[in-house]
Amino acid sequence: MKLSSIIAAGLAVGLSFSATAGTLEDVKKRGTLSCGVSTGLAGFSQKDEKGAWSGLDVDVCRAVAAAVLGDADKVQYKPLTAKERFTALQSGEIDVLSRNTTWTHTRDTSLGLNFAGVNYYDGQGFMVSKKLGVKSALELDGASACIQAGTTTELNMADYFRANGMKYTAVTFDTSDQTRQGFESGRCDVLTSDQSQLYAIRIGLKDPSSAVVLPEVISKEPLGPVVRQGDDAWFNIVKWSMAALVEAEFLGVTSANADKMKAEGKPGQKRLLGSEGDAGEKLGLSADWAYNIVKQVGNYGESFERNVGQDSPLKIARGLNAQWNQGGILYSPPVR
Amino acid sequence: MREFKPLPAQPAPIDEVGVIGWLKNNLFSTPLNSLVSILIIAFLASVLPALIDWLFISANWVGTSEAACKAEGAGDGACWVFVSAWMQQFIYGSYPDGELWRINTSLIALGAVIAAPYLLPNELRNSVGVPLFLVFPFIGAAFLDGRLFGLEYVSTDYWGGFSLNIFLAAASIIIAFPLSFLWALGRRSEMPFIKSVCIVLIEFFRGVPVLALFFMGSVMLPLFFPEGTNVDKLLRVWIVLILFMSGYMAEVFRGGFQAIPQGQYEAADSLGLSYWQKTLLIIFPQVIKISMPNILATFIMLFKNTTFLLIIGIFEILSTTQTALTNSNWLGGHAAEGYIFVALVFWCCCFGMSMISSNIEKKLDTSHRN
Repeated sequence: MKLSSIIAAGLAVGLSFSATAGTLEDVKKRGTLSCGVSTGLAGFSQKDEKGAWSGLDVDVCRAVAAAVLGDADKVQYKPLTAKERFTALQSGEIDVLSRNTTWTHTRDTSLGLNFAGVNYYDGQGFMVSKKLGVKSALELDGASACIQAGTTTELNMADYFRANGMKYTAVTFDTSDQTRQGFESGRCDVLTSDQSQLYAIRIGLKDPSSAVVLPEVISKEPLGPVVRQGDDAWFNIVKWSMAALVEAEFLGVTSANADKMKAEGKPGQKRLLGSEGDAGEKLGLSADWAYNIVKQVGNYGESFERNVGQDSPLKIARGLNAQWNQGGILYSPPVR
Repeated sequence: MREFKPLPAQPAPIDEVGVIGWLKNNLFSTPLNSLVSILIIAFLASVLPALIDWLFISANWVGTSEAACKAEGAGDGACWVFVSAWMQQFIYGSYPDGELWRINTSLIALGAVIAAPYLLPNELRNSVGVPLFLVFPFIGAAFLDGRLFGLEYVSTDYWGGFSLNIFLAAASIIIAFPLSFLWALGRRSEMPFIKSVCIVLIEFFRGVPVLALFFMGSVMLPLFFPEGTNVDKLLRVWIVLILFMSGYMAEVFRGGFQAIPQGQYEAADSLGLSYWQKTLLIIFPQVIKISMPNILATFIMLFKNTTFLLIIGIFEILSTTQTALTNSNWLGGHAAEGYIFVALVFWCCCFGMSMISSNIEKKLDTSHRN
């Protein structure tokens, strides 16, 4: 290609070559983890007024950095748009992609990528005005629905209503902000979007308590961190960093009691925190890899409540994202 | 002989002077004008009070968090607290607090480099002013990056805000200026290879939408490099902007070349000047003079185009605004305030630039219309 060769020649100055030994060695050598995040998604990856990043997706980056480098703050955040995200990973610009990416068959099999777990089970849901008195999506026959145009949301909605023999009128908008305004001004009875979005949209309403999110979830959107295919050692590290977050919550280890548990916990807790066994060594990390994660980032439950749950303005319920023994489907393989 | 004494002047008719006269002449001179005026006044009367109330009277100005706008007794107008709380992000991006002086210094240096041609004595203008201008983007970028100067390294991931818009636009136009001049020369060249290369370059970068170029730079380009080779995203964008700008400017210059009378070339040739002497000493100054309005118009266009960077996740001012709107502590729908602020900032800058441009035009005007 002419363009590429011209530009490539011009770029010779700004090139930086990284060794291709393995992502783990690269990250250790560089001293920072390069992590792809969203340019802004409430509760998942967001910047504050000081320019600091936080969120559920950001905490995955922080967990991996804590495990590998021992310091959760050693993360170089690369804000990416939806279109750039896979290229950035394939080209080696980032080491981990943690950007509310849905794990689908096509992405997993055809892009040269591996999904290292699920950090949020999302799904499309409905929000209705409280005064309608609707308790279930199945009562929505004949409703008009505010939808963001050009998304899979539209298709899921059509499928769901057809499958249940119901009719609806679509009122489409371009952006999520316009959709919210449409709903607020009463142009539709129901607003449909991914559940995590619904909660963010709901806070934007003048009176958030006037709307309720219905329990039905009509699509599966497992969101999780992604790594390049072909570097199994790195894949394991990211996978087990994710798992350590979940396992720590299951075992009752929190950032507050991690020190105590490390010294005098049950065998399972000690194995996770590295005072027993060689879990860290097998990953090519230090023995206190998971201790660093829990101590600096917290367990999954802490991260969830802080970013999207009850301690955040979003107030998303745990739902599917609760531990398997609490009515959710989070289930980490054991660390042993 | 009786002395001629004119009568004292009568005051003008009451409906020709003052407010009434102005109204009559400007707003109600014909029935159609009167109708249009009444409609416009009615429209303004219905919109302005609410707008002014929202913008100023019931707006919230003081505070540091959204709570200030949501509190009991807070006005239900605009929440300017949103803008003031995010001001540092809007202007400087995430650049570290302790290093902000580097951005300020660079902004002042940029102003100085632009003002230098005015301030320097004539004989230094070309030998000092022009080289300063041409090296500024590189020194400025290295200074903000910090490594070359032994300062704290600040990765381009932290650059952002309106200062980034300014730097990118300035750095692109400064490099594009000589580059596009060469392209325009090449397009007029009689050497077929150079000529065709230049035509292809100009037509490509002029014919492809800048958004498509940004996507190529950010999404496609990295795939052409061997794995493990990274070119900084901002550098890629800078290069795209330079090339895009060069395509446009080359055509502006070509227009300037065509406006120069053939006699100028022939006079230079007959004096025995070489090609470069002829081009740089005789033709170039006249081309610049003729093209100045278009060059500045192109620059204003490029400056505004830097907001397109939001689609590839670079935190210039517009995408910083969008990011701020998605922060879970600021979800109360402050889009209007944010976008009004961005529009105002851009309008002020662009208006300022067009004032400067008309000033330069006057200064350069040596035409012989008398």
